[in-house]
Amino acid sequence: MKQKSIVKWLGSLAAAASLFAAPVAQAEEDIVIGGSIPMTGVFAFAGIGIHAGITDYVKMINDTGGIKGRKIKYVPEDTAYKVDASVAAFKKITGQNKVNLYYGDSTAFAKTINPELERMGSIIMAGASFATEINDPKKYPNQFLVGPDYTEMIGILMRHIAKEKPGAKVAFVYSDTEFGRDPIDEGEALAKRLGLNVTGKIMTPPGSVDVSTEIVKLRRAAPDYTIFHGYILAPIPEFISQARKMGMTSQFMGTFWSMDNSMVMKMGEAAEGFMGVMPFRYYYESDAKAPMLEKIRKMRPEYQSNAYMQGFLTAMLFTEAAKRTLDAGKTLDGKNLKASLNTIKNFDTGGVVGVPITIRGNSIPVGRIYRFDSKQQKMLPASDWIHLD
Amino acid sequence: MRIGTAKQSYAHDESLFDTRTQWGWLATLGITLLAFPFVANDYWLYLACLVAINIASATGLNILTGYTGLVSLGQAAFMGLGAYTVAIFEQRFGTPAVLNLLAGGGVAMLVGVVVGIPSLRVKGLYLAISTIAASFILHFVFANWTSLTGGTGGMTVPPANFFGIPLDTSFRLYWLVVPVALTMLVCAANLFRTRIGRAFIAIRDRDISAEVLGIPLLRYKLTSFALSSFYAGVAGGLWAYFFRVVTPESFPLMMSIFFLAAVIVGGMGTILGGILGAIFMTMVPEVLKLIVGWLPLGSEGAVILSPVRTIVFGLLIVGFLIFEPLGLQELWRRVRRFFHLWPFRAQG
Repeated sequence: MKQKSIVKWLGSLAAAASLFAAPVAQAEEDIVIGGSIPMTGVFAFAGIGIHAGITDYVKMINDTGGIKGRKIKYVPEDTAYKVDASVAAFKKITGQNKVNLYYGDSTAFAKTINPELERMGSIIMAGASFATEINDPKKYPNQFLVGPDYTEMIGILMRHIAKEKPGAKVAFVYSDTEFGRDPIDEGEALAKRLGLNVTGKIMTPPGSVDVSTEIVKLRRAAPDYTIFHGYILAPIPEFISQARKMGMTSQFMGTFWSMDNSMVMKMGEAAEGFMGVMPFRYYYESDAKAPMLEKIRKMRPEYQSNAYMQGFLTAMLFTEAAKRTLDAGKTLDGKNLKASLNTIKNFDTGGVVGVPITIRGNSIPVGRIYRFDSKQQKMLPASDWIHLD
Repeated sequence: MRIGTAKQSYAHDESLFDTRTQWGWLATLGITLLAFPFVANDYWLYLACLVAINIASATGLNILTGYTGLVSLGQAAFMGLGAYTVAIFEQRFGTPAVLNLLAGGGVAMLVGVVVGIPSLRVKGLYLAISTIAASFILHFVFANWTSLTGGTGGMTVPPANFFGIPLDTSFRLYWLVVPVALTMLVCAANLFRTRIGRAFIAIRDRDISAEVLGIPLLRYKLTSFALSSFYAGVAGGLWAYFFRVVTPESFPLMMSIFFLAAVIVGGMGTILGGILGAIFMTMVPEVLKLIVGWLPLGSEGAVILSPVRTIVFGLLIVGFLIFEPLGLQELWRRVRRFFHLWPFRAQG
């Protein structure tokens, strides 16, 4: 009896010790995608979609035999959208698995983990951030953006505006955050180059709800187009409703994170005619050849968000980079994976993006303008796909 | 059973640890801390460093709130001051890490004294609001003094350098973070055996009586703010070396609430309380994640259980506040008392 309890005690001790143990060697055939995913917290609405998108694409690849016979293993960890938890998740996942591909949940995490990525040299990372700063291959050699950066998004909107109404008056409304301020200075410079007239730059405190003073400023600016950036939803509906009550006829626009269909629907009446830039197709689009969207709809009959599409495309590009690296007979490390990723030119995403994509620098500078149709309760295309040079 | 501690000299009476058992446990802790980096993987080393930084900052807040009775919600902003100072010194001058940390603490201390001035007129929630106002002002400065702080994009911090060795991994940083945090703890523990520390306690218990006893409130309240801010500044400096990126959004108001919660959950007005509170607030979410990870649910299960985990964490905090208002340190004391008296039991 005594011997048994000693054995039991030693067993428990061994189990506890395994927590502290060095990384467990991963079965060589597995290619691991790690993920600091915000499944709780303020960004959970996106994190859950991103998680579903990566999970589905990994399942699709594994169901067809993986990459050169090697299965893909996806290891996510919730971060609650906190940098310290994201780094902890990174350390935990990379400590327990041989990770080559990683999804990060924020700009702050992308910046924080960058020195570690460079030191390790074995991982490439993409994530939920579209920060302009990360679109710099010299400073961020092991990262890339799945879509255009925020400045490029503004650039796509500006090109559309310049084409639709040359010399138009434009106003920026943005949050006083790193996210909000990101593309504003560059956007203003671009507007000048395109012959547009920036009549207002209105910064709102983060999380502000009462925007009555800002709306007065916007009315004074009398823009033809108002571009919101740095928000998910609030205070966009408030801005639009009050501006329309004041008789303003400005066209209101947004960037990626305020463009999800379900989010725009939450704007209520203010959503009518709301426009913005989207780097991916919407879940429900069936007007063009898009086999991948068909597959997604079969797997998940209910609406999937833009975040899902972003997660799905990230997994697609991760696995394509791994495939190209293995095809070239090279080892899966950060340098080779990034080099393979940069060979992606005119790549068919199966319709997730409406045109073949090319990775330039650290981003994919392509997008399309969509407009909300309140009758159909859908964002519908309002332009062709716009490539930036 | 321990039946008594006979103190036969003044030195013995003044000592921080007065029994052989305590010294034995302290030696065990020391050996564990020395051996830990060699047996733990990167994840646990990362958490150890994070816990040490949080302990340092929570101890600083404990000096102000737990011992002096001045509620502050500006701890994160003071950490930000320390972090930016370290980032600027490291980036522009390349001065030694210890000097940078002291500078970080010093700058936070000076600002802390200014922020502490309203404490002479206001107390409780009113003081908390004034410290929130100070943290908003500091946040504005971080975000808008672009030439110095890098604006909203923030600053990248080069790794600390120790005789040519860059402290760029959790393993290497452990040898900076943990000794600094331990030194700060020992200093704090000793502080409350001095006139200054006892004056803080007197002010907390009844400030008017303290003044009658000859304690100048102006000097001691500002000293408490200065010391607390110094601790926050040094902890912020360690944070900067640890995460290597400092932005205005790195130190939100929620972070101040985190430290206040750590002090309350751990036990206000005790050094051990700050330690246990910081460990609890940092580690419980991670431990809950580990437990969820052990359940055979797959990644979809993790999605469903993630919000549950957050609720459990919240319930644990509320539970401690209801069932043990004196905090985790009181639980610890009870456990200790049990073993001291074993095989007998304490009455009542």
